Parts: sequence; C-alpha cells; structure tokens
Amino acid sequence: MTVKYFATIRTYTGEAVRRIDDAPADLRELLATLAGRYGTSFRRAVFTGDDLNPEIIILVNGRNVLYLQRLDTPLAADDEVSIFPMVAGG
Amino acid sequence: MFGWTGTILRVDLTKGTITREATDPKLARDYLGARGLGGHILRSEVDPKTDSLGPDNKLVFAPGPFTGTFAPSAGRFNVVTKGPLNGVLAASNSGGSFGPELKYAGYDALIIEGKAAKPVYLWIKDDQIEIRDAAAIWGHNTLDTTDLVRAETDEDAKVSCIGPAGEHQALLACIMNEMHRAAGRTGVGAVMGSKNLKAIAVSGSGAVKVADPERFKAAVMKARKLIQAHPVGGAGLKAYGTDVLVNILNQVGALPTRNYQDGYFPTADKTGGESLAAKQLVRPKGCFSCIISCGRVTKVDNPAYAGYGEGPEYESAWGFGSDCGIDDLDAITKANFLCNEYGIDTISLGSTIACAMELFERGFITAKDTDGVQLTFGNTAAMVEMTRKACTSEGFGAKLAQGSYRLAEGYGHPELSMTCKKQEMPAYDPRGVQGIGLNYATNNRGGDHVRGYTIAIEVLQNGAVMDPHVTEGKAGLDITFQNLTGALDSSGACLFSTFGIGGAELAEMLSALTGVEYTLDEFMLIGERIWNQEKLWNLKVGYTKADDTLPVRLLKDPIKTGPSKGEVNHLDQMLPEYYKMRGWDEDGVPTKAKLKELAL
Amino acid sequence: MAKVLMIHPDKCTGCHNCELACSFEHEGQFRPAASRVQAYTWEREGMTVPMMCQQCDDAACVKVCPTGAMHRSATRANLVDWNEQVCIRCKMCTVACPFGNARYDAASSSIFKCDTCQGAPECVTFCPSGALEFVDDEQQVRSRKKAYAAKFREAFQEVS
Repeated sequence: MTVKYFATIRTYTGEAVRRIDDAPADLRELLATLAGRYGTSFRRAVFTGDDLNPEIIILVNGRNVLYLQRLDTPLAADDEVSIFPMVAGG
Repeated sequence: MFGWTGTILRVDLTKGTITREATDPKLARDYLGARGLGGHILRSEVDPKTDSLGPDNKLVFAPGPFTGTFAPSAGRFNVVTKGPLNGVLAASNSGGSFGPELKYAGYDALIIEGKAAKPVYLWIKDDQIEIRDAAAIWGHNTLDTTDLVRAETDEDAKVSCIGPAGEHQALLACIMNEMHRAAGRTGVGAVMGSKNLKAIAVSGSGAVKVADPERFKAAVMKARKLIQAHPVGGAGLKAYGTDVLVNILNQVGALPTRNYQDGYFPTADKTGGESLAAKQLVRPKGCFSCIISCGRVTKVDNPAYAGYGEGPEYESAWGFGSDCGIDDLDAITKANFLCNEYGIDTISLGSTIACAMELFERGFITAKDTDGVQLTFGNTAAMVEMTRKACTSEGFGAKLAQGSYRLAEGYGHPELSMTCKKQEMPAYDPRGVQGIGLNYATNNRGGDHVRGYTIAIEVLQNGAVMDPHVTEGKAGLDITFQNLTGALDSSGACLFSTFGIGGAELAEMLSALTGVEYTLDEFMLIGERIWNQEKLWNLKVGYTKADDTLPVRLLKDPIKTGPSKGEVNHLDQMLPEYYKMRGWDEDGVPTKAKLKELAL
Repeated sequence: MAKVLMIHPDKCTGCHNCELACSFEHEGQFRPAASRVQAYTWEREGMTVPMMCQQCDDAACVKVCPTGAMHRSATRANLVDWNEQVCIRCKMCTVACPFGNARYDAASSSIFKCDTCQGAPECVTFCPSGALEFVDDEQQVRSRKKAYAAKFREAFQEVS
C-alpha cells in the first residue's frame, strides 16, 4: 500500500511517500503504526484522543474516510492513503 | 454615514465632466456595496442589450462598507460592468489596497461613463479629480504603468490599470491593481480599454467612520481569533498559498487535466503549493487588512523562465499546469507573471490554451494556424510562447485572447471549449465533485468557483463534509454558498475569511460598523437579492434554462483515470431541485412572489 | 529593563493592520494618514517595512523642542513623550527627526508620533505576522537570532 503526505504533514514525516508491504487491517492500525514511526507531531496531527483529529483530512483511494468508516475503515494491500492537514484556497 | 462614505463619484469621459452624488442610504442598506451596489447601478443605468465595448456601458469601481476598516481580511473592491466575454452583469473582485484608498478619498463607488477621445488616466486626490492625458503611458505593461502614473501623481498613489491586453480590448483582459492583484474575469479590462481609460490613481487622506467603535472592535477581535484558530486561515494559507489545493484535488481525482479530458495528473505534485514553497517563495503577502496572507511573492531563477513577481494561485497553476498537461512550475509561474504584467485572466487563458492544444492534437488546427508552433499538451515552451502572444494579441495569440468559446467555435468544435456561458470553468472537475458542477451551470457569470464554493464542504472538510460523488443535498448546499457569498462580496470581505467565520460574524461586524442592525437572516437575504438581481439581468440579455448547463464532455464522458474514474456529472438530478428551492419556476425564472420577497 | 517596540521587516506581509489599529485607537475611526506607524510597500519587490518612533535615548526632537513638549518620560521607561498642553506646534521636532517619525497633522493640530498606547501598543496586538513586537529589551532580537541559531541545530543534527 502507498501512503502519501502533503503540506505540513511532510514536515512531520520528513518524506512525501511511504510504501508499506504488510497492509494493516484498518486505518486506526495504520495511523498507530505511522505515529510510532514519525513521533509526537505526527501523532498529534492525526489523533485527538482515540479519535481522528477533526483538522486532518484522510482519503483512501480518493474517498474521505469520514464518509467511509472513519478509523475503522478497512484497508487492502493495493490501497492508496492520502493524509492532508486542512487546506484551502480558491 | 458610518462604514459608507456617503458619496458616489461619477466621471463622464465623453464630456469630461465629474459629478458627485449622495449614496442612497436605503440602497446602501439593501445592497451593501461592491458587487451588490455596483450591480444595482448597472441594472438601473445600463441597458442589458448594450454593446459591452461601446460607450454606453458603464464601469463601476466599488468597495464595500468593510473596506478600509480592520474587519479581518476585508479590504476588497469589485469592478462591475457588462462583461464583454459573455454579456453578464460582471462583477470582478480584487484585493490589494485600491479599494480602501477609494474609501479614504471619500467614495462608495466610482462610476465611469462614456469614452475618452484619446487615452487618459484618472487622478483622484480626495475631492480633486483630474482626467489626464495618458499618451505617454499607453502601451506600457501594468508594472511600468503603475510607476509612470505615480511619477505624475503621488509616489504612494494606489493605481488600478490595464496592460496591453486591455488596450487591445481582448475579451480575456483584466484590470490589475498594486501590480499583482487582479479583477480578473469576464473581460472587465476590455471595457476599460474600450473607454480609452488606461489607469486610475487614487490618494485619500480621509477616514472611514464607525457607528459603535467598542462593539465593532469586540466583534473584530472575536472574528480575528476564529480565523487565526482555523488551520487554514491561521497558518495553512500563509505557509503554502492557494496552490496547496493542487494535490488534494488530484488525490480526489478531480483535477481537470488536458482540457478536462481527464481528472488526474500523475506529476501534479511538482506544481503544487509544497513545491512552490520549496523552490520559488520569497515571502507571503497580504492584502489590505488581511490576517491570512495567502499571497505569494515569488522568484524564478531558471534562466529560461526567469522572473520576479507574485503568484501563481491555485487556479493559475492549474490553468497553465495540469490543464495543459504541464508540470514545470517555473514555466507556469512565468506564464503567471506575464499575465499580471500584460493584464489578462490566467484562468481563462490557461483553459483557452488547453482548448487550443486539444484542437491541435485532434488535427482541427495545424501549425499553419498556430504560427508554426507545435501546440501539444505537455509542450512547456509552446505554452509559455502562446501565453506571451495572447498577452500582446499577436498572431494566433489574438485568437487565444478572445477565449476558448470563440476559438473552438471558430474552428467548428465548440464542444471542446470547457466553458459555461462562454466563461472558462475553473480548476475543479464536476465529474468528481457534483455540487461544484451545479454551481458552474447556474452561476450568473458562467464558469466560476468563488461565488458558490461548495468545494469547502465537498472536498475540504471545512466545518462539514458532504460526499463529492453524490447529488443529494447539493442544491441546498449551492444555494447557501451562493447567497452567503453574494452578501460577503458586497460587504468588502474576502472569501477566505469564511475559513473561520460565517454570516453571523459578518453580520455582527457590519451592524457595529454601520449602525444598521443586520441579523444573519437579513444578511443572507441580501445575498439572495444580489444573486437574483444578476439573474434578472441575464434573462434580459437572453440567457435561458438551456444555458444553465455544463459541456457535454462532463455530462457524458467519464473521467478516465484516478480516484474519480468512471464518474460523470449528474446535473439533471440537481437542477430542478435547485430551481425549486430558489423559488424559481421550472425554466429557472424567478417568480413574482420571490421577487416581491426580495424587493426586486 | 524596558520594553521596546521592535520591528521585524522580514515578517511584514504588507497588510497595514498596524496603521488601522493605530488610527482607530487614537481617533476611533480609520484614517491611516493619522497613524503614527506607516508601512511602506515596494510593489515590485513585494516588500513592506513599518516605521514608527524609535524613542531615541538622545532624541533630536527633544533637543530642539523649545518648550519641553517633547521630553523623555519620567514615569515610563524608554519613551519619548509629547505634552500636548505646552506644545506650540512649531514643528521643529518634525524637522529634526532624521527618520521622519514625527509629523504635524493639520486636521487635528497635533504632533503625531508613537506613544506606545500607554504601554499596550495596538499595532502589536493587530499585527498578524509578528512583524511588530513589544518586548523586553533583552529579548528584542531573540526571535531573529534564534531563527539563525536553529539553522546550526539542523546542520548538526544531520551530521551527528
């Protein structure tokens, strides 16, 4: 699976892309693993307590997880996960 | 008056007369200013059938009541006129410092009428107004024009001007102020050129007064806190600019690519805000009273495209980027600099070049038509050269400067023009985002995103989330955004303040400033009134329900690759509900009852 | 220890909130011409620099003032104060200040120069970018010095 990072998230991870061989079962597991790898600033960006940080945007194959199953969104080996801070423009 | 200055300035360039009139307090109360008040002036004084490039069209520069105060990010003004690109009641919004200076000079609106016999510029210093000869300035780009005009007026005068594109009356010509800010769309620059008006210089030493200073300051402090606490208004836009949107639109599969032939561009990241910040950003920039600072001061070192200026915004990075199949940010930024210098709309020009590229690749035009240039998607040098030629209306560029609709139609393929009501759609593919498609189709000025920016909810998760792939609820969403923006645009506030605050905060600040009490509902009603006022104009011009549509490509041809692969826009599932919820009949005509409710 | 109104031009975005805050605080309306701080923009470079009275220890305006209207404040540290009562509006201070930070305003018949708003400068409150800072004199360059020191921290982190 591929995880892509954007905007300020890249400053927490130090990279724009990470490929993962063993796909975690769901988004919660993926984010926990990544937080373990990247540390506190990443963890704080994606989690608020046990739930998703409301200021993070996460897409699985282009679909916002908020209308999939949030942290329980199941993941498959060939999925692409994109992680954005809230961004905007015109 | 408070907030408003109480005076409107009228300049007749044919007769050379200058008159002052009192701002009607009732009109100010009901239309606020800027887009709304300017629109009312047009509707009252100009026949919708008028030739937009003729002397009977009028050109209105109007700030709003907030403009010139420290309401956060609220220093905007509108240029309102009959738009030459498509005949609509055009209102083009700009930031910078020009709007506030008009207020300090003492004016709620500047109405330009008629046509000067030869090139002139206007010099407004408080209540001293002069129409001056512009022979020595005509022909210069917008940066040099600004310096030349200042040398003859005041070195700190705020200058709004056209470049060569406006002088040529190109339908995509825009009006620039403070060198890098644009009243960009619908060809407002061509109107200014048609009047032989090269520039307006303003210097104001007066004041904008406040009805209830304590209440206003409290409301402003609260609004500032909300905007600063919001991740977008508080930090995101300052760090990355609007160009940060490239990647998220691409990742949802709705980044229009190669003239909307697709919705996903694999190398888009090279053109996004992250790349811009790393490679080109000199510093962030803010318009007057802005606390967000989304502006980008940028520099390109690559000798092929070297330059220094501001931008690109997301739309410009898209237009010259993925829409043309190009991922070279240096070239994109160079094209943006050229458009600023020559005064031409980046959104429409980028999309028009993309249209030309498709015409070329399909063999409908050849190198004979394009001055020998291989105008194919991804040909970076060709894109920059065509931008340059469009800026000067030279060779094939003269056709490009008239927009993609006339270009494509001229070669027998209007279906390849990605426009609504002849104005190019911006950087969101309606096949991947249903609600923005409804906004494009129903938008009073044609292809436009800012007036009904459903992207905030459909993609950007700003306060709420709606699935971009569904049509349910989108009619209501569009109407809410269109109405709120109608009022916001008329108040002088910047759209980006809504990353943080909403109609309630705007209404409270407006009430404290003007001394007129506005509830949230009244504020939204004003927005609805302004939307309907523009609709009435369009009906008189001859726009019908048939024009509330999208290019066939977006209704029938699914996106080919990426996360929105297989999607089309289902406009027919949204439009009838939209008309109904707006209180219009099945043909999209406002009913008498609705017009009465809005006092139109 | 005294407070200094420090300018960081590298952070200025050209928004003019400082001018608006200053004029509003002093007059209750928005008249940037009345602001004691002026932010000058060079559009080609996209650069803006705010300027206001630097409260000179050895102030030219104090030296030339015939009435003592311009004087070092006895009660507040690091402030050149203006006594409206004894000022004769001779405007010698505006001639003397090498920075142009004192000016005569005809509309209000006053000398305009920064008074730090009784020790809580409004321009600092309203600046969204940290380009203006009201800070203890010990810390007035801390942010700038430290930003450069941080570059060494980055460099050493990479190596070791």
